[in-house]
Amino acid sequence: MNIVVLAKLVPDLVEELEIDDSGIALDMTWLRLIINELDDHAIEEAILLKERTGANVTVLAPDIEGVDDILFTAAAKGADRLIKIVGDYESGVNNLGLARVLTPVIKDLQPDLILAGVEAHEDLDGSIGPLLAGYLDLPFIGYVASIELEEGKATATKEYPGGLSAEMEVALPVVLGIQVADEPPRYVAVSKVRQAMKTAEIEELEAGDFDLSGGPTIDRMYQPEVGESATIIDGSLDDIADSLIGIFKELGVQ
Amino acid sequence: MPIRETFWNIPHWAEIAQYLVGLLTILIFSYGVIRRVRRWLQGRPQRRIDRIGSRLWSVVVQAVGQARTLQDIYPGIMHLTIFWGMIALLIGTILATVDWDVAHLLFNVQFLTSWVYVSYELILDIFGVFLLIGLGMAIYRRYIIRPDRLANMPGIGFKRDDAYVLIMLGLIGITGYLVEGLRIAVAQPDWAPWSPVGNAIGNAFIAFGDPSNRFLHYALWIIHILIAFVALASIPYTKFWHLIAGPVNIFFRSLEPAGKMSAPTSEEEPGVKEWRDFSWKQLLDFESCTRCGRCQDVCPAHASGFSLSPRDIMIKLDTFIWQPTNGRNMLGDTISADELWACTSCQACVDICPVFNDQLSSIIDMRRYLVLEGDIDPQLQDALANLGRYGNSFGKSERMRAKWTKPIQPKIKDARRDEVEYLWFVGDYASYHTSMTDKTLMMAKVFQSAGLDFGILYDGERNSGNDVRRVGEEGLFDMLAEKNLVTFSKSTFKTIVTSDPHSFNTLKNEYSENGNDHYSVLHYSQLFDQMITSGQLNVARKLGYKVTYHDPCYLGRYNGEYDAPRRVMSALGCELVEMPRNKENTFCCGAGGGRIWMEDPPEVAERPAEMRVKEAASLSGVSILVVACPKDLVMFQDAVKTADLEGKLVVKDLIELIVEATEMNLSETEEQN
Ligand SMILES: Cc1cc2nc3c(=O)[nH]c(=O)nc-3n(C[C@H](O)[C@H](O)[C@H](O)COP(=O)(O)OP(=O)(O)OC[C@H]3O[C@@H](n4cnc5c(N)ncnc54)[C@H](O)[C@@H]3O)c2cc1C
Ligand code: SF4
Ligand code: SF4
Repeated sequence: MNIVVLAKLVPDLVEELEIDDSGIALDMTWLRLIINELDDHAIEEAILLKERTGANVTVLAPDIEGVDDILFTAAAKGADRLIKIVGDYESGVNNLGLARVLTPVIKDLQPDLILAGVEAHEDLDGSIGPLLAGYLDLPFIGYVASIELEEGKATATKEYPGGLSAEMEVALPVVLGIQVADEPPRYVAVSKVRQAMKTAEIEELEAGDFDLSGGPTIDRMYQPEVGESATIIDGSLDDIADSLIGIFKELGVQ
Repeated sequence: MPIRETFWNIPHWAEIAQYLVGLLTILIFSYGVIRRVRRWLQGRPQRRIDRIGSRLWSVVVQAVGQARTLQDIYPGIMHLTIFWGMIALLIGTILATVDWDVAHLLFNVQFLTSWVYVSYELILDIFGVFLLIGLGMAIYRRYIIRPDRLANMPGIGFKRDDAYVLIMLGLIGITGYLVEGLRIAVAQPDWAPWSPVGNAIGNAFIAFGDPSNRFLHYALWIIHILIAFVALASIPYTKFWHLIAGPVNIFFRSLEPAGKMSAPTSEEEPGVKEWRDFSWKQLLDFESCTRCGRCQDVCPAHASGFSLSPRDIMIKLDTFIWQPTNGRNMLGDTISADELWACTSCQACVDICPVFNDQLSSIIDMRRYLVLEGDIDPQLQDALANLGRYGNSFGKSERMRAKWTKPIQPKIKDARRDEVEYLWFVGDYASYHTSMTDKTLMMAKVFQSAGLDFGILYDGERNSGNDVRRVGEEGLFDMLAEKNLVTFSKSTFKTIVTSDPHSFNTLKNEYSENGNDHYSVLHYSQLFDQMITSGQLNVARKLGYKVTYHDPCYLGRYNGEYDAPRRVMSALGCELVEMPRNKENTFCCGAGGGRIWMEDPPEVAERPAEMRVKEAASLSGVSILVVACPKDLVMFQDAVKTADLEGKLVVKDLIELIVEATEMNLSETEEQN
C-alpha cells in the first residue's frame, strides 16, 4: 500500500501580512512560512494509517524555503520517502499549475491513496485535491475526518455542514482532502528531527515550467477594509462591554 | 581486676558453632550484596568518582553524623539513637570478639581490662538504652501517630518489612540486656554497677528467681546470637539494606550544582523506557530509599492531589526491578505519565532526602522518553511547538518580543550592536505576558534612572530553555541554548541580568557547559542589592510596609540566593514577616518544570499557588506578598483570585516596591529626558 501526502508551506499568520508594492501579492520579505495546518493533519493521518496497515508513506512538497524542515519532520514522524519539487516559485504558482506538475510525479509513484489538506488559506484557485483528482482521473472526497483502509478500498468519514457526517466507501486509488486527522498531529522531539536530518534523504524532482492557465488573475490585494455598516467600539474592556450591552438592549436582545 | 570473659558459661562447641553460623551469615550476606551490585551494573554508565575527598566527607557528615536526617527533629533523633545505639553495640561486639578470639586466643593478652573494660561496659549499656529509646519513638510514631508520609505505600509487604526491622533491633537489644543481666546475677562481679541496666536486670533475677540458673543464660545467649546473625544475613534482602546502600548512595551523589541537570546518559536513546535505561546510580537511588516519606511531605504536586509522590516513584521502581513484572510495563503500568508530568521540578524532594536520592533526575529521564514518544499534554505540545518555532511559548513572533519597549525613551541599547556592561535577558513572561509588561517597563525605567549601562537583545533573544529542559525536551533545549549563545557571542557585555530565576538558573549553570564562561549572571534582586549598597540606586522613601516574600525555587533552593532579595526589601523599608515555609523550605508555586504550560487534571483539589497565597494571607498584618519571579507573579495573582483573597492580599513584584521607594529619582530622569 502506497500513500502519497501533499504538503506545502503557507504564510504564518503570527506575522502581520503586508501587501507588496505591486498591490497584487503579499510582501514576502518579512513573511515567515509554516506548514499548512491541514497538510500537517494529512501527514498525521498517513502515519496513523502506516502504523495500522504498514503502508509506505511518501511526502511530496514544493521546494519553498523551509521545506526541508517540514519533510524531515515528516520523516521523524515515520514518513518513508521525501520528495521536493524544485522549480521557480518566486513569481507565484497557483494550484492549477502545481497540480499539472504533480500529476505525472504522482502517477509514477503509483499510489493507492493520495492525501492532501482539504484547503490552504492561500488557495486562490480552489484546493489542490479536486484539481489533482481531475488530472489523475480519480475520485475525490473532501472534508475527510477519518479513514479506514481495506484491500482495494477505503472508507472515508466526511464532514458536512451542520454537524452531519457520512461514511463513504470508495475504490482505491482515491484522492482525499483531509479536514482533520484521527488524532491531533503528534509532537516530534527536536532530537528526532535532527536524527532524521542525518539519516533521511530528500529526493529532488524538477518541476520545469509551470502552466498557470485557467487560474484567476488578481487585480488588487488589500487588507480588510472597515465597511460602513460596521462600528468599531473603542475603549477599555469594561467600556466596550457596557456599550455592547447598551446596543443589545436597544435591539431588544433578551 | 575487671576483665572481660567473653564466652562465660558458653560451652566450647557453642562458641565454635557460633563461628560456623557466622560464616554462613557472611555467605548469605555476600550473596545478597553481589546480587544487588550486579543489578546496579546493568544500569547505564555515569561518572561519579571525582572529588573523592568531598565524597568521603559527605559520608562522614551525612551518614555517620546524620546531619540531614536530623533536620526533622523527632524522626531525626529517633533515627540517630537507633543508628548510633546499634552501631555502638556492633562495635562493642566486634571489640569483644577481637579481645577474646584474637588477642586472647592467639597472643594471650586482653585489652578489655581494668578501666577500659568498665568504661566499655558503661558505654555499651548507655547506647543500648539509646537504641531502645529510639525504637520506642519509632514504634510510637509508626503505630500510634501514624503520619501520612508513612501511610499508603504503593504495594504490599512493606509493613512487614518495616516491622521486621523494629522487631529484630528490639530483640537484639532486649536479649542482649537479659544475657548480661543473667551473667551478672550469677557471677556477681565487683564491677557490676558499671553496667547499670544489666545490673538492674541481674538484681531483678536475684530477687525473683534462681540466680544460679545457668541454663537460662545459655539459652538466651543462643537466641541473642541467632537473632543477631539472622539480622545481619538479612541486610541485603530487607529494609536493613539502607544501612549499606544509604552511605554508598551518599558517597556517589552528584556534586554538581543543583541547577545543572545531567544530560541524557545515552545520546542514541535519550530518556528512560526500561529500567536498564536508568544509570547505575539511579538504580542505587531506588534501593537506598528507606520509605521515610519526607520527600512526599514536601512535594507540592502531592500536596495538591496530583497522583505524584516522589517516595512512591522510588518505591515502585525498586519493586518493579526486583519483583516479577507479570508482563507489566515500567512506563504506563507502574509509573503513569500523569505522575511524571505532575512534577514541578521544585527540587524539594532531592534536597530533603536523607539518603540523597535524586528523584527528580529519574522523573526527568522518564519524561525524556515520553517526549520522544510524543506522549504529552496538548497544551504542552503547543508550547513546545511554539518554542521551537518562535523561541517563546506564547506563539508570538520574535519581532514582537521587544514591543514592550515602545514607550521607552531614550531607546534601550541593542546589545548586539552597542557594547554594554549589563545584558538584560528579559525572558518570555516579562516580554510577552500582559500582566508582566508594565513591570518590565518599570525595570527599564529604574535601570535608566540609575544610569545603568545596559542593553537587550530585542528579537535576538530566545527562551532560555530552563523549563524546556525540565520538561524533558533536551533537543529543543540545545537548540534554544545554541541560538542564544550565538547571539551572546555577537554581543559585547560583562554581566547578564534577568528577573527570571528560571533563566538565571540555566544561563548560570547550564550554558557554561557549552563553553561560554566569559560572563557572570545576576538575578535582578542581586543587582538591585548591589546598586543600593553602592548608592547607585537611591532609596528616597522608606515604604514601611509589612510584607512577606516567596523564595522562587530556582533562585533559592537551586542557587542558594535567599539574602539579596531580603536585603533589598529591608533597604526599601519593608518589614519582612516570613511564611512558615521559607528559604530552603520554600513551597513551589506550581509553575516550574513546564507545569505552567500544562492543564491541571480534575483531581487537583487546591493548586500549589493557592495553598501558597493562603499561607501568605494567614500571616497577621501582612497584606503584600512580594515575588521576584515573573511566573510567580502570574501564578499568584491568579491564585489570589481563585482563592478569594482579593482585597486581603496583593502580589507585588520586587520591582514595584523599588519603583515606589525610588519615586523621586524616576520623575527626575523623566524630566531630564
Ligand atoms: C476549512 C473548512 C472549514 C469549514 N467549516 C465549516 C463550518 O464551520 N461549518 C459548516 O457547517 N461547514 C464547514 N465547512 C464545510 C463546507 O462548508 C461544506 O462541507 C462544503 O461546502 C461541502 O461541499 P463539498 O466541497 O464537499 O462539495 P459537495 O457537497 O460535493 O457539493 C459541491 C457543490 O455542488 C452542489 N451539488 C452537489 N451535488 C449536486 C447535485 N446532484 N446537483 C446539483 N448540485 C449539486 C452542491 O450543492 C455544492 O454547491 C468547512 C469547510 C472547510 C474546508
Ligand atoms: S521536584 Fe518537587 S514536584 Fe517534583 S517530585 Fe520533587 S518535590 Fe515533587
Ligand atoms: S526518596 Fe528519600 S526522602 Fe523519599 S522516601 Fe525515599 S528515602 Fe525518604
